[in-house]
Amino acid sequence: MKLGRVVGTVTSTINSPAFDDRTLLLCDLLESSGEPAGGYVIAVDTVGAGAGETVLILDEGNSARQVLGLAQAPVRTLVVGIVDNVDLEAVEGVAKRGPAVGTPRRRHPKRA
Amino acid sequence: MQLGRVIGTVVATVKSPGLEGVKFLVVQPLDRQLRPVGGQVVAADAVHMAGPGELVYIVAAREAAQAMPEPFVPVDHAIVGIVDALSILPGAEP
Repeated sequence: MKLGRVVGTVTSTINSPAFDDRTLLLCDLLESSGEPAGGYVIAVDTVGAGAGETVLILDEGNSARQVLGLAQAPVRTLVVGIVDNVDLEAVEGVAKRGPAVGTPRRRHPKRA
Repeated sequence: MQLGRVIGTVVATVKSPGLEGVKFLVVQPLDRQLRPVGGQVVAADAVHMAGPGELVYIVAAREAAQAMPEPFVPVDHAIVGIVDALSILPGAEP
């Protein structure tokens, strides 16, 4: 899984049926320090994540289909968690507690 | 999934079984500022409505074949949606 930050949304009306009634989030990929790692993904939201939040991103097809409960769907990337904190202190030689990863206050109430 | 711009079409008469009737489009992957990034790919059009110039999102790897009616076909990129709107959070623009 990867760390990301929600930076936007993608909307579409013409899409594979697997994406009907689902929220697509545009997420920048992050290093564990909270710095941008370069690159982004479009991920299907499963947790009600909102703009600006640090999230956990699953990028594997079988797991993604299992989470969505779909047998056949062209889905590989999901937002599966909202990150509260990343702690790097346990690893020697690595900078302590990642400063930027803490999630800002929720802007939107959690969706159903 | 990644954003991409459809920049052309591919016609192939002779192709692998299972790909009959599948439309192939040349897609230039984009970064989130909609600038070209990386090499062009040939993607199967799983929405049957994408055309040149359109902003789409594509899925890569094994999951691309899942977008096709017959999921065990040799397809590694598929267009799975046509973008209506891309909204970037204020402050997240670089």
